[in-house]
Amino acid sequence: MKIKTLFLLVGITVSHLFSYAQKKEFKFGKIAPEEFQTKATGKDSAAAAIKLFDIGNCYFEYSENTGFKYVYQRHIRYKVLTKAGYDLANYKIGLYKSSGSSKEDLNGMEAATYNMVDGKMVISKITKDAKFTEEFNKNYTYKKFTLPNVKEGSILEFKYTIKSDFIFTLRGWSFQSDIPTLYSEYNVKIPEYFMYKTNFGGYIQVNRTKHETINATYVPSISSTATHDQYVLENVPALKDEAFITTIDDYIPSIEFELQGTRFPNEMYKDFNGTWPKIVKELADDENFGLFINKNSYAKSVLPTILKGEKDTLAMTKLIYDYVKSNIKWNEERGRYASGTNPKLVFEKKAGSSADINLCLVSLLREAQIDAHPLLVSTRDNGIHPGYPMISKFNNVLAHVVIANKNVLLDATDKDMQFGMIAFDNLNHEGLSIDLKSIQSAWIATEPTFASEKIFNYSLALDKENKLTGTITQYTKGYAALKLRDKYRTTNNETEFLKDFKKDKTGLELTNYKMGNLDNLDELLTETMNVVIEDNVEEAGNLVYFTPLLFEKTKENPFKHEERLFPVDFAYPIKENYRITVSFPEDYEVEKLPKSNLYKIPDNSGTFSITFFSQGKTLMVKSVIDINKTFYTPEEYFNLKELFKAIVEKQAEQIVFKKKA
Amino acid sequence: MKKLIVSLFFAGLWFQSKAQNNYDVSKIPEALTKNAVAVIRNEELFFDFKGVGSGEEEYKVAITILNKAGDDLAEMAEVYDKFSSINNIKATIYDAAGKKIKDYKSADIKDQSLISDFSIFEDNRLKILKFYHINYPYTIEYSYSRNYKGILNFPSWHAIKGYNIATEKSTYTFQKNAGLNVKYLSSANLKIDSTKIGDKTQYKWTCNNLPVIEREPYSIGLDNITDWVKVSPTQFEYDNTTGSFDNWKNFGAWIYKLNENGNVLPVTTKALVQNLIKDAKTQKDKVSILYHHLQQNTRYVSVQLGIGGFKPILAEKVAQVNYGDCKALSNYMKALLFEAGIKSNLIVIGNGMPSMNPKYSSMGQANHMILCVPLEKDTTFLECTSQYNPMGFIGYDNADRNVLMITEDGGKIIHTPAYNAKDNFQNRKTKINFKDDGVAEIGIKSIYGNAQFEDNMSMLLIEPVEQRKKINEDNGIPGAELIAFKFEQADKTLPIMTEDISFKSNQLLTKGADKIFLTLNLMNRKESVPAKIENRKTYFAVGFGYQDDDEITYNLPKGYAVEFLPKDISITSEFGTYTAKFVAKDNLITYSRTQVMNAKKFPPEKYNEFVDFNKKIFQADKQKAVLTKAP
Repeated sequence: MKIKTLFLLVGITVSHLFSYAQKKEFKFGKIAPEEFQTKATGKDSAAAAIKLFDIGNCYFEYSENTGFKYVYQRHIRYKVLTKAGYDLANYKIGLYKSSGSSKEDLNGMEAATYNMVDGKMVISKITKDAKFTEEFNKNYTYKKFTLPNVKEGSILEFKYTIKSDFIFTLRGWSFQSDIPTLYSEYNVKIPEYFMYKTNFGGYIQVNRTKHETINATYVPSISSTATHDQYVLENVPALKDEAFITTIDDYIPSIEFELQGTRFPNEMYKDFNGTWPKIVKELADDENFGLFINKNSYAKSVLPTILKGEKDTLAMTKLIYDYVKSNIKWNEERGRYASGTNPKLVFEKKAGSSADINLCLVSLLREAQIDAHPLLVSTRDNGIHPGYPMISKFNNVLAHVVIANKNVLLDATDKDMQFGMIAFDNLNHEGLSIDLKSIQSAWIATEPTFASEKIFNYSLALDKENKLTGTITQYTKGYAALKLRDKYRTTNNETEFLKDFKKDKTGLELTNYKMGNLDNLDELLTETMNVVIEDNVEEAGNLVYFTPLLFEKTKENPFKHEERLFPVDFAYPIKENYRITVSFPEDYEVEKLPKSNLYKIPDNSGTFSITFFSQGKTLMVKSVIDINKTFYTPEEYFNLKELFKAIVEKQAEQIVFKKKA
Repeated sequence: MKKLIVSLFFAGLWFQSKAQNNYDVSKIPEALTKNAVAVIRNEELFFDFKGVGSGEEEYKVAITILNKAGDDLAEMAEVYDKFSSINNIKATIYDAAGKKIKDYKSADIKDQSLISDFSIFEDNRLKILKFYHINYPYTIEYSYSRNYKGILNFPSWHAIKGYNIATEKSTYTFQKNAGLNVKYLSSANLKIDSTKIGDKTQYKWTCNNLPVIEREPYSIGLDNITDWVKVSPTQFEYDNTTGSFDNWKNFGAWIYKLNENGNVLPVTTKALVQNLIKDAKTQKDKVSILYHHLQQNTRYVSVQLGIGGFKPILAEKVAQVNYGDCKALSNYMKALLFEAGIKSNLIVIGNGMPSMNPKYSSMGQANHMILCVPLEKDTTFLECTSQYNPMGFIGYDNADRNVLMITEDGGKIIHTPAYNAKDNFQNRKTKINFKDDGVAEIGIKSIYGNAQFEDNMSMLLIEPVEQRKKINEDNGIPGAELIAFKFEQADKTLPIMTEDISFKSNQLLTKGADKIFLTLNLMNRKESVPAKIENRKTYFAVGFGYQDDDEITYNLPKGYAVEFLPKDISITSEFGTYTAKFVAKDNLITYSRTQVMNAKKFPPEKYNEFVDFNKKIFQADKQKAVLTKAP
């Protein structure tokens, strides 16, 4: 499924008329008096600050020693409107250096605060002692700056240059932030020697305002033509976060660049990652990827003991999957390359990153002659992959196995993950399967094969003291079971676990709690208990009443907002099934039961049904919520909101008994 | 948010080469594994105090992680800075049988900066190693030595490392050279073993086989029921200064000296001050004008480097850049006041920390600085890092505690004002008008004071779009549609704000057969009750004392009659008081509720009474009226 076509306005339009750009001069320190009058408008009228402009330039330089590097210049001007905007006066720049000699440098930072005092502009430049260098770790350094004399109404300005040896990915550009932006422009001048892929993202279309050939000189002796592209967005509102999305980054209008190929004078065209076959070839030859998978000494030595002669593909795959996930602990790091060059070392260390673990898994599977491939994915918080050949946008790798012509996805980073289940973060709709042998790749869907499912069964007897006594059985499946297993294991002991279970269930006392199938992942996770429930059935005169959903009532609508800009992305379907039977005393009568009902979202992608039923001195209530789509458009949001409104209302209805006089 | 004292994390143990290395899990006494996530198998902390400002620490620890809940303890994270260095790190991981799985290499240990999120820059760094193992239990072991060139405080020691962590053995050995003086403060029954070795003196504290203490709700901590010791030098040397911890007076004198000549203002600022106060009538007016000036013109920026963690930036410098940390801004405010002829004192304070101990002067009891202005009739305290606090409002984390006042005669322990339950009020009046179709128009007016003002103050500072989002997320009224809202602090000099919100809802009345149910307490219900605990161990307290007053009037739809109304409720206990009153007249129901909670500390045996008190409130809060509709 090509999700992005549903909501992303990918691409560019070409336009040449830019009023703002033409009348405006972007010179450091040159502030027009009217800039002090700038006010936020419309929805953003109470904004903490306004970005007056944000101008970026990216071009190339050459040096004899290090070759080509790129230069990134940024010039930002803000108007501070309220004290909440003061944080903008603290500026932070991250710089990377590799273990080799390649690095990034900050070349110069000009920064100043401008205040209008008695009709005159007062300039306060950044002082020397307001610049800091934080050596975060061996790879990252942060340069930090703080501006003087910041007040409500101040204009703040920063201008700086970074030179970078890392030309594989250029610094991209975001055209929107959490404050309104009047003008944002990014200029990229790429020498004819380099070809870059450009990735646009976001829900607002970025305009390409220039696309021209220019002359570029790198050192006095070297010059060539270059392509100058300019991208502009004007009057961009502040961006606000919403719940149930993948990442806000998927919605920020932005550009990213990745090197596709080089063509130097007198040299052949060199394809870096211009096509998928090229990317796959590189991966196949990479010692931390393809060659890692091919190192089979460990697999050879261990497979006989794992498989014990098993010949069935599915059974073999399960055995190997179980072996990997119960022998290597995930160190909570993600990546697409293994940290070492041989699976053997990972098994010796008994710990590793997602790539270490899942590439080990692929290695063992392949050695066992199973049709297994690494599957590159971009996690939810990393944003959606644009779909065209861009390796840097992947940040994780899983295993893709084909069994009886069916795709099975495996992720061995969590011992409690069921066969065929991948972690929530990986549920970003698509992944790229890499065939290392034939040097081919294919997009495959990563939609979940499991839902998040809960089934509650209450079987209770009501006595005349308004006490409910009986049993509760709860079944949990899929992602809900994964969560519950994790909770159970990360809680000190069962006593603590039950304390927490009872926390929001006032009146509940339980005995004989049993959890079944904790380690049996393929079965329903089952909880049974005997219960006594007080404080939930109330009396008013000769009336006795209670909410039959008891502790499982949906108290509030999770969709509270009146507006929705972005789609709702749950990642997996959600099912909740509740059933209660209550026997009640002889001299109680049910006069009239609430109405049973069925509610549906128009396309049936979400349903809620509630059934009330009584016979003799027994009462039965059943409530079923089924959200069977993982992805709803902003328009469909209102259907979800209405559905949950019905759920909250119907689940709150009371059962009323009348006591015989 | 602010910081005075560069936190010095100390933990260190001494490596004994003969120590036995058998980490077989089956050798742990059963009493220790009960309810434990981890067991400290052996911890040895050795500190060698060699000279004023110099010392060496040897640390070694072995921890058995029993289950997944203990994974967080499988980590070495040690802090160092310009005045300390960490060397000789060794780390090993063992399986359940105590068999070595692997030794870690120095490349496995990461080095990174450690800067508090409120600071732009500090000089602390971290050596960090995370241990991972897939099967439980497993045992981690690590050791290191740490060298000091400048000492303000020594490592402290706790027999119990946290909730659900048992200790098999832990020892703290402190050795000092002749002529050096130290003092210590320990839990009531902790024994000290003191020996002389040549001209050196050794103190030793130790504990064995301590079972876990479980986490308990509302707990105020473990310090009054477990063993611990704090050790402090009496003389110190740090970043080219020397001082004394003999008593608070002398320590205060050191701070005073650090600050000497630090409050000279530029001529232009002096002129500005004179101009600002020229029409002020009283001292208090002047303080108010200058505090307002400070709030409008400065912002909080924290940089903590070496002695800069204690010494304020010069007032002259703050006048130029208009930013600074708590020390810089307090000192600058002091200079502004001085120019206006008003004397004030810097206050060293533990923001959100326990009260400073009047009898034990040491580093590590404070993290913040505010200013005290002793005026003739009332003394005013100023929180100088806040751009929003009303004058004199220092917030709950600064209130009601011992603090150190810095005077020209040295330090003096004083107490900051307390906000009691009555001060921390929430006063709410709600009018609900049902229209004939059952749709309710809901108008809610609330007033918040002091600590409750502080809790809600952020609503005054965010954009209307965000206010709307927050109201929609937090209101908890079934089916609420937000109509209008307004937050206001009418008098900026008082810690009081008002909130005015109106909603519409068609879900206030719930159906049941031919009856209609109305939960009378609309918005301020106690929704859950903590469980009772047998043999509770720790003392408990509610976060802060407060008083809530609610009044709700329901104007019922035409044709509805009140069939049942709950009886009035009144609950009194040492934890607080509660009343709920229900009155019906014609088609009007008036519900009124008061709840007062005391912020006292209570001993563990009172806890189940506290639960009962809460349970009664819970039951009272869900009382419903039953209505019938005329046919």
